Amino acid sequence: MNAIEIRNLTKYYGKSRGIIDVSFDVKQGEIFGFIGPNGAGKSTTIRILLALIYPTSGSATIFGKDSIKYAPEVMKDVGYLPSEVFYYDGMKVIDLLRYSASFYKKDCSKRIKELSEAMDLDLTKKIDDLSFGNKKKVGIVQGLLHEPKLIILDEPTSGLDPLMQQKFFELLEHENKKGATILLSSHVLSEVQRLCNRVAIIKEGKIIKLEAMNALNEENFKRFKIDVAADIPKNYFQFDGVNDLQVKGKTHSFLFKGNINEITQKLAGIKISNLWVDEPDLEEIFMHYYSKEE
Amino acid sequence: MNVYLRELRAYRKSLIIWCVCIIFFVVSGMGKYTAIYSGMNSPTDFLASMPKSLQALMGGGAFDLSKAVEYFGSIFLYLIFMATIHAVMLGSGIISKEESDKTTEFLMVKPVSRSRIITAKLFAAVTNIIVFNLTTLISSIAIVGKYSKGEAVGGDIARLMVGMLLLQLLFMSIGVAFAAASKNFRATGGVSTGILLITFIMSMVIDMNENLEGLKYITPFKYFDAKTLLVGEGFNPVLVLLTVAMIAGLTVLAYVRYNKRDLGH
Repeated sequence: MNAIEIRNLTKYYGKSRGIIDVSFDVKQGEIFGFIGPNGAGKSTTIRILLALIYPTSGSATIFGKDSIKYAPEVMKDVGYLPSEVFYYDGMKVIDLLRYSASFYKKDCSKRIKELSEAMDLDLTKKIDDLSFGNKKKVGIVQGLLHEPKLIILDEPTSGLDPLMQQKFFELLEHENKKGATILLSSHVLSEVQRLCNRVAIIKEGKIIKLEAMNALNEENFKRFKIDVAADIPKNYFQFDGVNDLQVKGKTHSFLFKGNINEITQKLAGIKISNLWVDEPDLEEIFMHYYSKEE
Repeated sequence: MNVYLRELRAYRKSLIIWCVCIIFFVVSGMGKYTAIYSGMNSPTDFLASMPKSLQALMGGGAFDLSKAVEYFGSIFLYLIFMATIHAVMLGSGIISKEESDKTTEFLMVKPVSRSRIITAKLFAAVTNIIVFNLTTLISSIAIVGKYSKGEAVGGDIARLMVGMLLLQLLFMSIGVAFAAASKNFRATGGVSTGILLITFIMSMVIDMNENLEGLKYITPFKYFDAKTLLVGEGFNPVLVLLTVAMIAGLTVLAYVRYNKRDLGH
């Protein structure tokens, strides 16, 4: 059985586009990435799955049950971490977590302790006094405390420092090994690449690509910036896979998708004085690659 | 049960403040009774000499202001005003705050239906309103009793409070219904409070002008007039039924609309 099945889901907010004809499945036990630039429709899709909003047409099921019609029942097995966490005024962390646990008919106190220790979270503090990153940790513990079989995360890592991000990913991988299915939305390609088995890429409300992660990993995107020591022809780096080539004096910069050895071979043939290799952000990748493939 | 208790806790502080205010108002309002009564032989004659519109603002001229409980009837309108403001803000806030505080994404993804959440919130709001009403009842009986020279006032005041409770529930339902039905949570509180103010002012205008008596069905503040409840014929069954029907209708509307609409933040 698939953990999530989304069929021809369309949502309009009045006249403005939310998502159009979105369909994909998330298999039980996999970590599924859902990526796209901001405003592409990731949160809309997730909010429909959670029955916070209703689709204009189409349907979604979670563990075989319609996610809108049977929302209260379906939600027993779902844990959700929103992109921004907001909680009630004047509550302590532990009060909030106990309140959250009170909705599930099981004892979660041991789990709360384990998770908050793993995430290094102080339970006695007032939530209002916490930093953004610490609030996010409350959200993580809150979303996982009932051991959900399906974990839905909307932009989970924003606000977490790299060390916490690492811990959080380990936590997710641990949950996944125990059998939890994970749907993770993000606009950062590298975090999806790090965690996911498969991805769906959404742009302007439509799914434009659905594939296994290793296929996407072959499409290695890098932004190169090279200071050359001696002048080279302006089109020296103009070959297949190179995009957005800019030359300013001795600095050549471009986006590259493909086998990285092609670049290193090219580099070996010239003298350089400096070299930067960066992860381009998703907007950049979309602008130079996926817009043409449509 | 957990949502109910959470809401009670969330509104505890504000309820205490409201109750202190209402007790303070009853004490100070009745304090003027001695001032007026001891200064003149017959305050009623004095009032009767005033123009009708001024009488209306003072709470109406039909009362025998030398009697403590009827004097209380003349300040009752302001008690009702406070009670309904409390009720309409409570009803509106208890629903819309999940969206204005952006906690929908916490509460609404729990394994509970929207109907059960509304039910819990309604129970919490009604509990607050009952506490408010009982506080007014008990403090009024105690304080009016102090001035009434042994005359029993409990029954009269209890009748007024039943009227007040119905109005409280009505305005709470108005607040709940608008907040549940509308996606625009910023506007709903304002709209409900606006309805309250308009109908309140309308009831004042009707008091000032006898020709407008026919409009009394439009404003709920005329349904349970202190004058009719204390010295007139008592409760009008048609108006009581009308109130109950409106409360029921608004509540059903709240459930239906809240279950159907998108929750934003």
